[in-house]
Amino acid sequence: MPLDKLLLGSNSFEGVSYLSRTQALHYQEHFSREDNIVAVLEAAHNLGVTSFVCSNCENVMAAIRKFPRVQDLSLLPVIPNAYEYAMEASEKGVLGAVLSKAKGFSMYQKVRLGLRALTKIKSVLSKDVMDLLLELLHFELASFEKFKLGGVILHGQVTDLALSSQNPDIIGIFQDIIREEYGLEPILATHNFGVLLPQLIEWKIRIPIMAPLNSKGFMMKPSKEECESLVKESGYEIVAKKVLAGGRLSPEEAFPYLADKKVSSVVLGIGSVPEAYHTFSVAKSVLKF
Amino acid sequence: MKDSTKVGVAVIGLGKMGIIHTALVNMIPEARLVAIADINKQLSKYVEQAGLKAPFYSDVEQMIAEAKPDAALICTPPAANLALAETCARHGIHLFAEKPLAHTFEAAKKMAALAESKRIVNATGYLLAHFGPCKKAGVLLKEGVVGRVFRFRSSFYTTEVMGKKKGWYYDKAQAGGGAVINVGSHLLYLIYAYFGLPESVFARSGYLHSEVEDAATAVLEYGEGVTGTFDVSWSLPGYRLPYVSLFVEGENGTLELTNDYVKLYLYKAHKGYCREWTTIHKIDLPSTSRFELGAEGLYEEDQDFVRRCLDGKAPAVTWADGLEVQRLIEAIYRSAAHNKVISMTEVK
Repeated sequence: MPLDKLLLGSNSFEGVSYLSRTQALHYQEHFSREDNIVAVLEAAHNLGVTSFVCSNCENVMAAIRKFPRVQDLSLLPVIPNAYEYAMEASEKGVLGAVLSKAKGFSMYQKVRLGLRALTKIKSVLSKDVMDLLLELLHFELASFEKFKLGGVILHGQVTDLALSSQNPDIIGIFQDIIREEYGLEPILATHNFGVLLPQLIEWKIRIPIMAPLNSKGFMMKPSKEECESLVKESGYEIVAKKVLAGGRLSPEEAFPYLADKKVSSVVLGIGSVPEAYHTFSVAKSVLKF
Repeated sequence: MKDSTKVGVAVIGLGKMGIIHTALVNMIPEARLVAIADINKQLSKYVEQAGLKAPFYSDVEQMIAEAKPDAALICTPPAANLALAETCARHGIHLFAEKPLAHTFEAAKKMAALAESKRIVNATGYLLAHFGPCKKAGVLLKEGVVGRVFRFRSSFYTTEVMGKKKGWYYDKAQAGGGAVINVGSHLLYLIYAYFGLPESVFARSGYLHSEVEDAATAVLEYGEGVTGTFDVSWSLPGYRLPYVSLFVEGENGTLELTNDYVKLYLYKAHKGYCREWTTIHKIDLPSTSRFELGAEGLYEEDQDFVRRCLDGKAPAVTWADGLEVQRLIEAIYRSAAHNKVISMTEVK
C-alpha cells in the first residue's frame, strides 16, 4: 500500500529541536504530558493527516493509547529506539540495554520473541549477530502489535552503520522480515542519502528511503547538489524529512522547494496545535497533496 | 594488494567509539581499514558478521606484524592508552587516541613525550575542535570581534548518570575520574584552545551517584583581572544530548556559544559584524563533512588525522594539546581534593 503524502513526525514529542536548547526544553516539558501530544494528533487528524512516524518512547506510546481516534492512525515505527539504547549502552553495552528493556515483557512474550536466551551478556556475545538483529526487530515491533502499522522504518544510525560497514545483509534482513513476516513496507532512514542510494543501487536493493531534503542543504550528505541529482534521477521512492531545515525555514519558504521534487511523502515534526494547522495547510496547498 | 596512496588504518578497541570510528574509516577516501583489535576474542565474530572487511586480532603485536598498519586509532579505556601507544610508536605507527589522552597526568606526559621523540603524527579526540559553532566562535575570538576578553563562564551538562552505574567509565582506575575527565574535558579543550591555560585554578567537586565525581565547578584565574568559570555535571535532568555553553564578555561586547548557535552582541559595529545582535545558527554554517555517523564532527576528526598522516602536518588537536588539557584536569582534581587554589606552575 502506498504511503500517505503527509506524515506527522515525533521529534518534537521526544524533545528534539535543532534551533535551541530553550525550544528543546519546552518540547520536553510540554510533551511530557501525553494530552499535549494527543492534541497535536487531533489537529493533524482534522486535516486528514493520519500517518504518524514515531519511536516507542513512553510519552508517545501513552498518547497513542489515549488518542480517541487511534483506529484511524497508521503508525510508522522507527526502530530500534537508538537514543534509549545509547543512553544505557555505556553502562551495560548495547545488548545489555536491550535486556533491561525486555524486563517489561511477560515471560510469554519473551519466549515468543526468542528473548529468553538473552539472560546474560556473555551468552549474548556468543550469539550470531544476525540472529540478534532479528530478535531486536521482533522485540521492538512487539510494542506496536495492538496498532495499525503503515510501514516500518530502520533508524538512521543503524542504516548508516550498515552502509559504512559495507554490510548489505543487515538491510536485506530488515527488508525481508518486514515485507515477508509482517506484510509491511520497509523504509530506510538515513543522514547520508547521497552515499546510501548509489550503494543500494550497487547492492540491487530497492527500498523506500527517508532522508533530509530542504533548500538550505541541511543534513544533505555528501552535498545538496548530489542529493538533488539522485532525487531527480534515481526513481527510488523518497520520503523527505528535515524539510523545514530544523526550523530555520517557515512552511511558506520551505515547501515551494519541494514542489517540483520527486518525493512520494513528506514527514513533518510539529511543536504545537496552531503549528499543526498552519504547517499542514501550507503543505497541502503548495505541494498539491 | 597494498594501495600506497591510502593510509592503512587499524582500530584498537571495539567499544561504542571503536565501532563508530571503524565505520567512519571505511568512508574516508584516503584511508583503508587494515585491522581491528580488541582483547575480547569473541568480538571477532561480530567483526566478521558485521561485514567489516579487515582481519581481527586480540594481540596488538601480532596485528602490527601481520597487518602492518600505517596508523592506528586507539579507542580503548584511557588507562590502556599509554601501553598501546608505546607498542605502536616503536613501529613508527601514527596514532589517534580518543579523549582524554590518558587516565592520569603522568601517563599523558609520557604519551606526549613519546609522540615527540618518535616523530609520529599524533591526534587527540577532542571532537569540539571539528564542530561548526565551536570553529566559528574560535575564529571570532581570534579576530578579536568582542575585543579584549575580561571574563567568561562555561558549562557542560548532560543527563547521563541518574543513579549508580557500573563500567569502566565510572571507575577511576580505568577512566581517571568522572564527569570532569570523561565529558567536561571536551569543554576544557575549548577553554584551552580559546584562552590558553590559566595561572591558577580553584575547584570543588560533587558526588551524588558515583565513586567518581558527578559534577564539578572551577574558577580559572588568568591574571590582569581576567577570570573564567567552568561547570560540569553528567547528572542533570533535561539534557537529552550533551550541551555546551560558553559566554564571553569582552570590551566590545559579548559572545555566546552553544551547541546550536554563536550569538554576538556588540556595542558598536566591528570587523564586519553589526552593532547589537548577530546570531549564527549551526544550521546556517557550511557543512564540511561528506558523511555523518555518531556525532557531527567525528568524520572531520578522523579525516583530519588521516590527511595529516599523508602530509605529515600537525592535526587540529595534537597530543601536546591533549597534555595541556590534562594539565587543566589535573589542577581541577588537585584543587578539589586539597580544597585550595592550585597554581598551574605546580602542575608540571
